[in-house]
Amino acid sequence: MIVNEEKKGNVYVLTPEGRLDTTNYTILEQHLAKITGANAGNILIDMSKLEYISSSGLRVLLMYLKKSKEVNGRLMLCSMIPDIREVFEISGFVNIFEIYGSREDALAS
Amino acid sequence: MPLQADFLLRERKNYPMVHYIHFKDPTSREIEEKLDSIPRCPGTCFFIDVINSTDIKYRTKLRQWGKRLNNTFNFISFLNDLPGNVVKGIGDELMLFIPDEDLFSKTSYNNYFGLLGEIYATIDNLMNYPIPDTFLNCKVAIHYCTEVYNISFFEHANDYYGMDIDLTARLMTKARANRIVLSEKFFIKVKNDMIDHDVRIQDSIISGISPVYMEDFKGVPHPTEYRFIDVGA
Repeated sequence: MIVNEEKKGNVYVLTPEGRLDTTNYTILEQHLAKITGANAGNILIDMSKLEYISSSGLRVLLMYLKKSKEVNGRLMLCSMIPDIREVFEISGFVNIFEIYGSREDALAS
Repeated sequence: MPLQADFLLRERKNYPMVHYIHFKDPTSREIEEKLDSIPRCPGTCFFIDVINSTDIKYRTKLRQWGKRLNNTFNFISFLNDLPGNVVKGIGDELMLFIPDEDLFSKTSYNNYFGLLGEIYATIDNLMNYPIPDTFLNCKVAIHYCTEVYNISFFEHANDYYGMDIDLTARLMTKARANRIVLSEKFFIKVKNDMIDHDVRIQDSIISGISPVYMEDFKGVPHPTEYRFIDVGA
């Protein structure tokens, strides 16, 4: 899995590509740790290129949602493909994350 | 992608590997010959037990209990490719068996360490979900089985029998909420995967694993070594 990182204003935009699971979640975790550790700003994860997410992937998002809140930051998600959206619905994660239809909507929020 | 609580019923009619045993003559020699010819089916067996389900059933209304059990089973279904690997559900306990052949062909986790990682993440997510009364906590027992056979005495059903399946069930007696009990046999498989992938124990989800314990389980003819991980501890 590759994670592209860019900055838009005070928001770090992370775009993971491929599958997020137990074999590679640490790649995304390293990016999230760096940003939340430095209290550097809000985070938006653009999920448009994410094809699959497992329990390990959900776990790292849940962990960093809590950490972001602890430092008064926001962890937002956007542009989920339908399969990923369904996982978030059934896991109840739609009720705990800020989820936007597009990157533009998230950045404007 | 495996979703929805009906996962227990999916793929029920398609078990190409199961050996269906059904003979009408109780004195038949054929049944013995058939049983002798069935190969072992090495793989990983685990039981997931939903905690406090019975208690909640009696303390609350059916809808509250049923909703949380439904949600919890749905969440468990995120363990990749689970529909094909659920053997049976009895009340609030699930038995799963993943033949090595299946595990190695998975696209997500395809080794024992990966499997343990996904189970750990599932338990952790259930524990840490921030909205109360949505899910129930679970406990897990897991064992690597070599003495196991994929046979069923019922048509269109799947099942596994063997001493190692019995042992997995016995390991559950050492589990409690949010605990994963691993036989030493399974732990060795996990450790070998970690060495292969250059993952250090102290940097991994098993950094808090217990020392090895030994127990004489009822009906098991030899002492069993096991460890446990308390998720979130």
